[in-house]
Amino acid sequence: MAHRVILESFSYQYPGQVTPALADISLAVPKGQCCALLGPTSAGKTTLLQSISGILHKHHASGFASGKIVIGDESYAPLPEEIQFPKIAYALQDPYVQISGVRETVLDEIRFTLENLGRWDSSTDDSILSLLRHLGIDHLAERKPTTLSGGETQRVALATILIAEPDVLLLDEPLTALDYVAQDRLSDLFKGIKERSTILFTDTHMEFALAVADVIVVLEKGRMVFSGDRKGLLDHIDSFESILPSHQWKELIRTVKVSQGPEATEAILKAMETI
Amino acid sequence: MSLRAQFTRETSNAALPLIAFCIALNLTVGQITGALKIPIYLDSIGTVLAAVLVGPIAGILTGTFANLLASATGSPTMAFFIPVVVVIGFFTGYVARLGWFRKWYLVVVGGLLQGVIAAACSAPISAYLFSGVTLAGTDFLVLYFRSVGNNLLESVFYQGLASDPIDKLITYSVVFVLLRSLPKRITSRFSGASNLPSNNGAP
Amino acid sequence: MRLDLKSKLASVFFLWVCAFTLDWPVNATLILLAILLRYVVPGFRPTSQRAARSIVAFMSYSTLIVLIVVSLNAVLLPGGDVLLIVGGIGFHESGALFGLRTACRLVLLSLSVLLFFASTPIREFIRFLQGTGFPPQLGLVLLLTLHFLEQLPDRINQIFAAQEARGSPVRANVVSRARAFVSILFPLVLSSISESIDRGQALELRGFLGQGQMPVFENRRSDTSLLTMSLILLSIALIILRILNWLIA
Repeated sequence: MAHRVILESFSYQYPGQVTPALADISLAVPKGQCCALLGPTSAGKTTLLQSISGILHKHHASGFASGKIVIGDESYAPLPEEIQFPKIAYALQDPYVQISGVRETVLDEIRFTLENLGRWDSSTDDSILSLLRHLGIDHLAERKPTTLSGGETQRVALATILIAEPDVLLLDEPLTALDYVAQDRLSDLFKGIKERSTILFTDTHMEFALAVADVIVVLEKGRMVFSGDRKGLLDHIDSFESILPSHQWKELIRTVKVSQGPEATEAILKAMETI
Repeated sequence: MSLRAQFTRETSNAALPLIAFCIALNLTVGQITGALKIPIYLDSIGTVLAAVLVGPIAGILTGTFANLLASATGSPTMAFFIPVVVVIGFFTGYVARLGWFRKWYLVVVGGLLQGVIAAACSAPISAYLFSGVTLAGTDFLVLYFRSVGNNLLESVFYQGLASDPIDKLITYSVVFVLLRSLPKRITSRFSGASNLPSNNGAP
Repeated sequence: MRLDLKSKLASVFFLWVCAFTLDWPVNATLILLAILLRYVVPGFRPTSQRAARSIVAFMSYSTLIVLIVVSLNAVLLPGGDVLLIVGGIGFHESGALFGLRTACRLVLLSLSVLLFFASTPIREFIRFLQGTGFPPQLGLVLLLTLHFLEQLPDRINQIFAAQEARGSPVRANVVSRARAFVSILFPLVLSSISESIDRGQALELRGFLGQGQMPVFENRRSDTSLLTMSLILLSIALIILRILNWLIA
């Protein structure tokens, strides 16, 4: 069941660093919604995902954290100290390392997760196959995981954690290795997953977020410079010129807004959802 | 720390892929030295790397598995020399913990000592199991030492002394320089981080 | 008769014991028998063309080794009768016998290991180890090593090509080649260590060695346990006989 994710005045400083990686972050993602964390590199996006997943404290136990993280009904002050899988699943930026490399077929690769959780038996293969169908990769079930293309690898990597049915899904720059067709597929996929898992993902561009996210947060140098919905981001699009790189869509949006006035925003958002 | 706790620590999720890479490195470094026609083995470089960066058990595992896999892939006699790589892994992990990988001159001493120990460990195996013949070019050296009046064990040991210390010295030096060039954010992930100089990775 | 891994391992162990306890004519016969096993017993058939070729290559290589070891020992270790004289160089009997003993033992030991691995896919061997209570993390290390072994040669070639494109002195003097070695090894190791860290994280994030129970691998029950037991008993008997022999002597 999807869980809400709340951060209250959360700050984090890596051991040995003088400036905080995250400073006074407050955000609330209602259950079953999709949150985009936007910002340039080293804005603190990955650190934020890592703090929620539990891996940050596990690897940097001497880092300084304050504030509170709430996941579902459980509250962690200041942050989870153990990896929260399978409640929270985290997909690394590079899908190739997410694939274990120790299994011969895609089906077996996904079994590996269930085996780790002590949940595998012969009947679970059906649910693996149905997940692969849902992700549109059932034809890859018997392929060797290390021979797949970038887009295929990413969907298999996603399957390796989705099979655990996480309540919260964290994705670090899921668009990096994808072409436009694959990005479209990912956006459809998000719509399907949202019913089951709350999604938080990071990105350095705003277009994909404008098409899929319910909550958008913009970070810069560890501070939150925007938090709101898609309409709010569109209304302030010019304020982020310096930190979110320009893209063909942004130019187009700006032109439409200037020529048709503020009421154009709703129409633009509707159009983006269907693209 | 109990042996069990030590084993758990050195085979954590963070260390496992590194150990696997080090085993593969032991087995493929010959591809580089061979292509460049460099006349050294360096086939314990992965063992030394794992022993310093993670610990003695990781070193022992790396050496053992590398020899086992080498046996499985066409060098069958390697399996019989597993006791030697166990000693190399343990010795390196132990001296690294004593801080020998923080100063270059201790690395030199360690490498030479390791070479002598390796020669001493492999001599009885070569002599008693194989009578000095290991299907390698150095077999001729053994025959030479025997023909000038040494017994079998001595001859095998002298042959080892002629090649092992220099090979292990180079291995230790390469690993020392390699680890110095690793940034601290990487080395700090492994349980042997304290074996390295404190200014590790400083520009 | 289906030969399982346990009985194959027992056969290897038995051949090792023979190599150390019996004299060279028996060992030479066992070598011929072992080669016959590869053709007659289905369990010892090579699993791939490559494995079959490795046995053939080993046999031709070891024939050469036997010849060299025997003749060098016969020349360099005087003692016993002179068997023959070629161009003024004498071949002595005791040296030749020592060479035969050494060469037969070495070939038998190597051949038994080679026969086992040529007829056993390495993944099957790892699965077998896991079935005998081998810690799961060690099974994972071995499997991950196979993954790295598949990837490393390509990566080495890539770095090699990049260095050559920049004019790396592969054919220059030894100092330049040593420098080229470092310029290939360092990027390879540094990138692989970072990758290892990410892979370790990914394993943690998929619950490996976490709270869940690891799957229990069960080795199939063997239908050749009688053979396994007999081979082990025979090996023990040989060792005892050898020790008694040694004590009496």
